[in-house]
Amino acid sequence: MSLAWRLLKAALSSLWAFRSYAALMMIGLIIGIASLTVIHQIGQGAQQQVAARMASMGFGADAFYISSGGGRLGVRRGMKRAVTLTPVDAASISRLDGVAQVVPHKNVARTQVTAGSNHTNTRVRGAPPGWAAARNWSMLHGRFISRADIGQSARVAVVGTTVVRELYGGANPVGRRLRIGRTPFIVVGVLESKGSSGWRDRDDIILVPLSTATKRLSRDDKISGMRVTMTDASRVEEIKGEVTAVLRENHSLGPGVPDDFLIITPDELMKLITRQSRSLVVMLTFVSAVSLFVSGVVIMNIMLVAVSERAYEIGVRRAVGARRRDILYQILMESLMVAAAGGVCGLLLGILLSYLATLLLGIPTAFSPSGFLWALGFSAAVGLFFGVAPAKKAAGLHPVEALR
Amino acid sequence: MIKLKGITKTYYRGKVETPVLLGIDLHVRPGEFLAIMGPSGSGKSTLLHILGLLDRPSGGSYLLDGSETSTLNDDELARLRNAKLGFVFQAFHLLPKSTALDNVLLPFTYAGHFPQDAAHRARHALARVGLEHRLHHRPGEMSGGECQRVAIARALVNDPEVIFADEPTGNLDQRSSLEVISILQGLNAEGRTIVLVTHDTAVGCMCRRLVRLIYGRVDSDEIIAEPTQAMRQLQTLMEAAK
Repeated sequence: MSLAWRLLKAALSSLWAFRSYAALMMIGLIIGIASLTVIHQIGQGAQQQVAARMASMGFGADAFYISSGGGRLGVRRGMKRAVTLTPVDAASISRLDGVAQVVPHKNVARTQVTAGSNHTNTRVRGAPPGWAAARNWSMLHGRFISRADIGQSARVAVVGTTVVRELYGGANPVGRRLRIGRTPFIVVGVLESKGSSGWRDRDDIILVPLSTATKRLSRDDKISGMRVTMTDASRVEEIKGEVTAVLRENHSLGPGVPDDFLIITPDELMKLITRQSRSLVVMLTFVSAVSLFVSGVVIMNIMLVAVSERAYEIGVRRAVGARRRDILYQILMESLMVAAAGGVCGLLLGILLSYLATLLLGIPTAFSPSGFLWALGFSAAVGLFFGVAPAKKAAGLHPVEALR
Repeated sequence: MIKLKGITKTYYRGKVETPVLLGIDLHVRPGEFLAIMGPSGSGKSTLLHILGLLDRPSGGSYLLDGSETSTLNDDELARLRNAKLGFVFQAFHLLPKSTALDNVLLPFTYAGHFPQDAAHRARHALARVGLEHRLHHRPGEMSGGECQRVAIARALVNDPEVIFADEPTGNLDQRSSLEVISILQGLNAEGRTIVLVTHDTAVGCMCRRLVRLIYGRVDSDEIIAEPTQAMRQLQTLMEAAK
C-alpha cells in the first residue's frame, strides 16, 4: 500500500464521512457541467450533420460554389437575388489552370407541375449531364440527362422521389408525361432518395437539361450558380482569387463596384451554419459559466465550514507529524475529488440529456471524447481554484488551537 | 533526553500580554514517568504543548536528545513529532470514520515513506493495549476507555522516545482510567518515557515523579518512592463489584 494510495484513501474516506456536504458541493457543478456537455454535444451534432450534408452534396474541400448576385454569405438569405452569371462565365472559369470541373445549374422559378389530374409545386432546375455525379446523386430508375439532351434542348425530366409520390402515387414514372407550366416533358429517370436532412426536402425536385431550362422555361440564358471543383484542394484560395478576377472582368465591374456574385467555400458555409446556433450556445455557456462559478463559491464556503468542524482532526494530524503542506494537499485533494466527482456526474447527466434531446426533440447530438476530458478538466480546475482558500485556512491552523 | 532551561511563554491577545510560563527548568531522563500537576491557569497544558513540540516557547532553550529545537522550522518540528513523540489527548481525538487500525496507522502516513510492516506494527500496538479484537471497530462503536487505548496504540506505533498524555483520564470513568493508567505504567516498566498532565492527584500518585506548577513556575519536583499500582486498584475495584 503506497503513500499516495493512502492519501487518496484518506481523502475518499473524509469525503464519505462528510458526504452530505460533498453532495451539496456537487450540485452546482453537476448542473454546470451537464449544461456544458449538452451544449458541446449539440454543437458537435450540428457540425456532423452539416458535414454529412455537405459531403452528400459532393461539397468536399476541393470545391467551392459560385452563386449569382452579390452581398455577403448569410446576410442576403431570403432576398431575391439578381441572376448575373452566364454560360460565358462558366466557360472562362473552366479554362483556368487548376480547375477540374465546372457544373453550372439554373433554377427556374417554382412552377406548377402537372401529370394527368395530379399537380404539385416543386423546384425545377436546369442541369448539365455531370450534375448528378458531381453531387453524388444516383439513379433509382431510368437515366440522367445526357449530352444529346443538352444539344437538342430536349424536353426530358428527371424527378425526385417526392415528385414521384405527388404526381404518380409512387409508381415508376419513366416514360410518362408531365407538364412544367405549359411545356410538356417526358420523364426519363428517377433520382434515388436523399431524404430531407436539413432545412428542405431534397427529393422535391425536377431536373431538366440546362439548355432546356434556359431556352424553353425562362427568357434568359443566365445561370443561377455553379459548382467549381479544383484539381488540388490546396489551391482553393488561389483559384478563388482568379475566379473573382475573371468574373469581375466578364461583368465589366469597375474598381469600387461590389461583386455581383458570391463565392462560397465549404469552410464559410460551415461557419455560417454553425453561427446560426451561436446565440443559443452563448446563452447556455453563460448560464453554465455562472453555475460553475457559483458552485465553486459554494464548494469554497462549505469546505471552509468543514475545516472549522474538522479542526481537531487537523490538529491530530499535525500532532502525529503532518506538515502544513500535508494538510494543504489533503484539503486540496478533497476539493479536487469532490469537483471531479461532480464533473463526472454532470457529464453523465449531460450525456443523458443530450440523448433525450435527440430522442424526444430530434436535435442531433454527438459525443466527443475531447468534450469528456474538457468537462473533467474544467471541474477539476474549479475544485483546485476554490479549494485553495479552505486548504490554506486548514494548513494555517495552529496545532494547539486546532486541538482545543 | 529532554532539557528545558528558562522556558517562557507569553500569549499576546491584541495589546494584552498574558505571561503563562515564567521560566521553567526541567530535565526529563529516559525511562521516567513524569506527572505535571497544577491548578488551572498554572501553565501545565502550555508546558506540555511546548514539550510536545506543538507550540514554541517565547524564550529559553529546549534540548531534545541534545539538539536545540527552538530554532527548528515548522516542517522540522513536524518531522520530530512524527519520529520521536507520541500523543494521547483528553478527548481521544481519533478520526471518527476510521477504524481502530486505520487510526493507529495514521502516523505512518506522515512518516515520509510507508513501512512495509506498518499493518503488522499497528496490530501489535493494538494488541499491546488489549484491543486485538477491536481492529475494525470505529470510535463510535467503542467505549471511552477503548478509544483512549486506541489513542495510546497510535502514540505507540512509531516507537517514540516520549509519550505525552494530556489529561488522558479526564473523560473516563474510574475503571477505564485505571485501565489506561495501568497500560501507561506497563509501558513505563518496559522503559518507555512518559510525560503526563493531570489535575487528578490520584493519577499523579501513579507516576514516578511529580512536578507541580504554580503560576508558571515549578513549585515542587518530587520523586514518588512507591507509586500506586493502577493494576492492583483495578483488581480491588473488580472484586468490590462482585
